[in-house]
Amino acid sequence: MQWWTLFQKELIENVRNIKWIWVPLVMILLAIVDPLTNYFLPQIIDAAGGMPDGTEIQLPEYQPSDVVMMSLGQFNSLGVLVIALMSMGTIAGERKSGVAELILVKPVSYTNYITAKWASLSLLTLTSITLGMIASWYYINLLFGDLSFGALLQVVFFYGLWILLVVSISIFYNTLFKIPGLVAFLTFATVILMGVITSIFAHVLEWSPNNISNYIQQMLVTGSVPSDLIGASLVTLIMIVLLVGGSVFIFKTKDMAE
Amino acid sequence: MLSGLLKPTSGTISFTDMKENRDIRKSIGYLPQHPVFYKWMTGQEFLVHVGRLAHLSKSEATKRAKKLLERIGLTDAANQRIGKYSGGMKQRLGIAQAMIHQPKLLILDEPVSSLDPIGRREVLTLMEELKEDITLLFSTHILGDADEVSDELLLLHEGRIIESGSMEALREKYQIAKIELSFDGNLRDYQKKVEALSAVTACYTDQSRLHVTVEDMAEARRHILAAASAEEWPLTSFSINRASLEDMFMKAVNS
Amino acid sequence: MEEINSINEIDWTDMLTVIVPMLVIQAILLIAAIIDLIRIERTNGPKWAWALVIVFINIIGPIIYFIFGRRND
Repeated sequence: MQWWTLFQKELIENVRNIKWIWVPLVMILLAIVDPLTNYFLPQIIDAAGGMPDGTEIQLPEYQPSDVVMMSLGQFNSLGVLVIALMSMGTIAGERKSGVAELILVKPVSYTNYITAKWASLSLLTLTSITLGMIASWYYINLLFGDLSFGALLQVVFFYGLWILLVVSISIFYNTLFKIPGLVAFLTFATVILMGVITSIFAHVLEWSPNNISNYIQQMLVTGSVPSDLIGASLVTLIMIVLLVGGSVFIFKTKDMAE
Repeated sequence: MLSGLLKPTSGTISFTDMKENRDIRKSIGYLPQHPVFYKWMTGQEFLVHVGRLAHLSKSEATKRAKKLLERIGLTDAANQRIGKYSGGMKQRLGIAQAMIHQPKLLILDEPVSSLDPIGRREVLTLMEELKEDITLLFSTHILGDADEVSDELLLLHEGRIIESGSMEALREKYQIAKIELSFDGNLRDYQKKVEALSAVTACYTDQSRLHVTVEDMAEARRHILAAASAEEWPLTSFSINRASLEDMFMKAVNS
Repeated sequence: MEEINSINEIDWTDMLTVIVPMLVIQAILLIAAIIDLIRIERTNGPKWAWALVIVFINIIGPIIYFIFGRRND
């Protein structure tokens, strides 16, 4: 009941501040920008005056799985940045401005407050990522080769878990700090740092969430779900639960007025 | 802290009929000094939202919101975005949101300090009305405001309660024993006579009045009035000073 | 000569299916940003500056307006 009230408020807020328009559009653009530039590269080079005579232009033939990776690559960098910036004020901003004071003196359960925010952000980002991948899928089938809808759903499912982790990291920092800019920076920095650590300790951290996109490519090439993808997904899921649970715990023990 | 925003270092808060472990926030309404709302909501929407957070049903919350908006005089602005409200309107909306779940205790933090004279009057009048139904606890630096609406008083100085009690009891306790007299004719002629009376400790004059400091109010009054009627003093006024809150505060801080 | 012509023809059919959706998305972003800028009460920094950013910086302009220009609390 109360959870639903909080969740509804978040949805209405994100409709009125038109996040529900721009975030999906940005994700669609991110998903299709690399596939399109790569497809049109030969013509772009031609239009720019072409290469000197005698130069052989060797452009790789892209497989559908390569193109999926282009989209995911954009999500992994700019997409994460957009999520971090878009979610930086969800709790931190309310505490900074002082609205949280009015809301939290009502008999509001902190668990409801946090999880409603998490759910609404998750819904927005997952929808956006899904729409982006559908756009990418449209171009793949148009320009590069066949990719089944089932395969697309698998990609969205596993990649969605990674995106939920990013949202959870943002929520976690949102409960710790009340400066939105700091929250965005730490969220982005954490994702980058996780990537660095994952590549340094690649042989130990096989199930690191950052590896999910690599395993997705493997899945598309081989046509079956690699066991490492299942493992990485489980680790991701556990981290999400810990982060959201931790956020609620921090919020409960924290003095809200400070 | 009372409102649950801060964790107490010690002590508990309880209401007379409160069950164990009940969320005290259900019984408390709170208005911070500078209330901030969701600016993108309308006044009506905000009240319904907080009402539903306090476990009212949708229809109940809507009904309460309408009633409160009427009471605080914001019916016309109910469907305007809060971003467009004036300071006084926000403060009144703040009181309404604090009352949406019919709390037993309403805590107001400096409710009028940031308002212009018109806004102040609006809010003070509203508080006057509200105290008929529920307990109001409010903080202020402006002692005149406290004087106007409070029944009971807690004086805080450097984080400690230095004095507390009902307005009447405090007035009695801190009554500054002083009588002011004025006469037709030369004040100085009478100064000596008054000084000579028993129970009078000091006496001085200003432009128009004779100020008499006394030991025992009742006795001094009797003596002065007796002398005045026996000698037919041309008395034009006789007044016993009522201590203002400011006098009380200064005296309590100093002692 | 003939070969070049045929390449150009292929380009034009590509345009419809490939470039048009992209342009539509860009246009929606642009229009949404402009409408929002007109309706919003206050922005971070002057409104006219944001108008320039939205209109003249292709694609990215509206996005940075949404992230940094809007004041919503």
